[in-house]
Amino acid sequence: MRVTCNQDDLHKALGTAGRAVAAKSTMPVLGNYLLEAADAHLTVSATNLEIGISCTIPATVDKPGRVTLQARVLNELVANLSAPTVELRQEQNPLTVLVEAGHSRAHLRGIDPDEFPRPTATLSDEPALRLDPSALRDAIAQVVFAAASDDSRPILAGVQFEARDSIVQMAAADGFRMSLRTLPLDEEVRQPLSIIIPARAMSELQRVLADITEPVELRVTPNASQIVITGPAVAFISRLIDGAFPDLKQVVPRQWNTRTVILREQLLDATRRATIFARSSNDVVKLEICPADSGLDMGRVTISANAADTGDNRDDVDAQVEGGEMQIAFNGRFLHDVLSVIRSTSVALELQGPNSAGVIRPVDSDDFTHVIMPMVIGS
Amino acid sequence: MNEQQHNRWIIHADLDAFFAAVAVLERPELAGLPVLVGGSPTGRGVVSSASYEARAFGVRSAMPMAQALRLCPHAIVTGVSSARIRDLSQRFQGILRDYSPLVEVVSVDEAYLDASGSERLFGGAEHIASEIKRRVRAELGLVVSLGVATNRLVAKIASELDKPDGLRVVLPGQEAATLAPLPVGSVPGIGPKTAARLRHYGLATLGELAAAPESLLALVAGEDAAHLRRLARGEDERPIRGERDARKSIGHERTFARDRRGLAELEAPLFALCQETGMALRRKGLAGQTVCLKLRYNDFTTITRQLALSQPTDAHQQIFAAARALLSGALHERAAPVRLIGVRVSNLAQPALQLGLFDDRLQRTRRLNAALDQLAERSGGPVVTPARYVRPAKNLEVDQ
Repeated sequence: MRVTCNQDDLHKALGTAGRAVAAKSTMPVLGNYLLEAADAHLTVSATNLEIGISCTIPATVDKPGRVTLQARVLNELVANLSAPTVELRQEQNPLTVLVEAGHSRAHLRGIDPDEFPRPTATLSDEPALRLDPSALRDAIAQVVFAAASDDSRPILAGVQFEARDSIVQMAAADGFRMSLRTLPLDEEVRQPLSIIIPARAMSELQRVLADITEPVELRVTPNASQIVITGPAVAFISRLIDGAFPDLKQVVPRQWNTRTVILREQLLDATRRATIFARSSNDVVKLEICPADSGLDMGRVTISANAADTGDNRDDVDAQVEGGEMQIAFNGRFLHDVLSVIRSTSVALELQGPNSAGVIRPVDSDDFTHVIMPMVIGS
Repeated sequence: MNEQQHNRWIIHADLDAFFAAVAVLERPELAGLPVLVGGSPTGRGVVSSASYEARAFGVRSAMPMAQALRLCPHAIVTGVSSARIRDLSQRFQGILRDYSPLVEVVSVDEAYLDASGSERLFGGAEHIASEIKRRVRAELGLVVSLGVATNRLVAKIASELDKPDGLRVVLPGQEAATLAPLPVGSVPGIGPKTAARLRHYGLATLGELAAAPESLLALVAGEDAAHLRRLARGEDERPIRGERDARKSIGHERTFARDRRGLAELEAPLFALCQETGMALRRKGLAGQTVCLKLRYNDFTTITRQLALSQPTDAHQQIFAAARALLSGALHERAAPVRLIGVRVSNLAQPALQLGLFDDRLQRTRRLNAALDQLAERSGGPVVTPARYVRPAKNLEVDQ
């Protein structure tokens, strides 16, 4: 292999693919990049067996070929090269690569590329779903945080991804809260889809999408074991979680007794302050919702927290309240998480009672629903 | 009164028919009516609180709801929001804390306050008590009964004497005389069984108990004789424990009359200890996040093993699950005969239970335990135990 490319292009490609490098693995080759030069392109790939990322950059290929090189070393080296172009050249020993840029020369020892697991699944002409990268990224952000962060129930560590008619619906739930987001598509879905993507993979995809402007295509392998998302110069692949996601219809409450419309920023700020005090008392943040005394007044939400050793804190925020007064407690972190990902100026908080699921949604659109279970204080 | 001699002033404050009063606050149209708060009358629910209008018909708390409704058929059965209970309880404690830093909260509707020294600021313990009464009515819309005395035992009894809306002061030196006419069972610390035994020997009142000959008392109560006599005289030196030095852990242990070995012989007594510990936590409105198991082997080596839970619990089922896992692990390390087993829950806080989206097991456990506690309160001890953990005959055990 002998290939020359732009230093900046290579640096970016290494950064993006680097997200899939296995931090520690029993397979040393997973700590390496696979570099493939062919047809005026250099492709950089990495995989940790759960996800794989490949980036393709333009290059002058004098001699096609494949090598693997230690990810951390190559990444740092390229980041610190000052010349505009970089040449990678396989030495006489095919496992050694000379990296040359300006007056800088380095030799890197690699591992046999045949040991590298192919990150890209064999794709037939499966129907693809075309998605806008920034819309997909927003949708992932509103959902992925609600997934379970441990693997005690593997299904809940995933994001349910469904496509039918001309809508994509994504959902995640860690057992205490659930985020549900719909995303309209420009075209009808040819083949309905229902898969569960690991939340960790979704978080990485979210970051990869940040650098992409043109639509991406999403395909599922024929055996439904992997998902492949391809952009102009990037391929992202993830394994899928096998199993049935909990029934979401059961989870979203159909009615409310108190509905509060409140400025999102104000509620978020008050929650932030309460969380400081809630830290040492299981993150319990209390909401006290009072309707207006008369039609002319505003209602009020009091957000409070207390810690036996630290002190306490109360915030009053004006709100429009329909229905009766209500006192309910939530995990302050959960409240903070959801209020941080909603974009609208005002949110609606729909509550049935202190022991029932609450719903938080933006008031200006119906594409997002968050269900959050309360905490019960006292016995 | 002589301040040199009697420098301790304890106030016991007890909200009258608290849950029923809260029900009336929530539904003002119920004022003046017989109100019962508690379980369903069709099931096996019991009365957890009855308004004084209902009590006039003979209804008592912990009575089966069906029986209560036979006594008082037009009573209104209702529920109260636990958030409201919690809020009023905290505001009640807040009022008490305005008068002394030493407030020991016994339960949602009951607390002791050490007013020693505070009287210089606020003008006399009786004045403080009447201020508390006035403010509880004005600020919370509730009625509180108060007992003022030189120790917590007498203060507690005094608060009962003029209920509802009572305020009784027992002056220094009047403790024994105030208690004398009362039945022996009215002292906390003398349970129904001991009371029956005392009555059997002709000791029906606290006065009779206080004056009983040493030999008779030794016969009736054995080692407890001196303790019983102190109770009957209204002597009590226990301090009021403020928030800071509140108990850091709650637990129980038991020494066996004969050594036991293996999980099969130990899990039944362990369950009973967890049951007692869970009940004690729930009674105090606390939950703990660390479960500690203590084992003393027959060679007197003692080990402790502990486990942190994902969230604080007051459910004996969860405490037992953790304790049993610890026991199993400890016996795996060393399977020698065991002479003492104990369980202790620490890292105590107000219970805060995160409810689940997909299962309501935690909430069902909570409701189950509330019902079990009511049954236990009626019978003076846990009555429902899973068959496999039923304790063997009690005379095999020596409690410590």
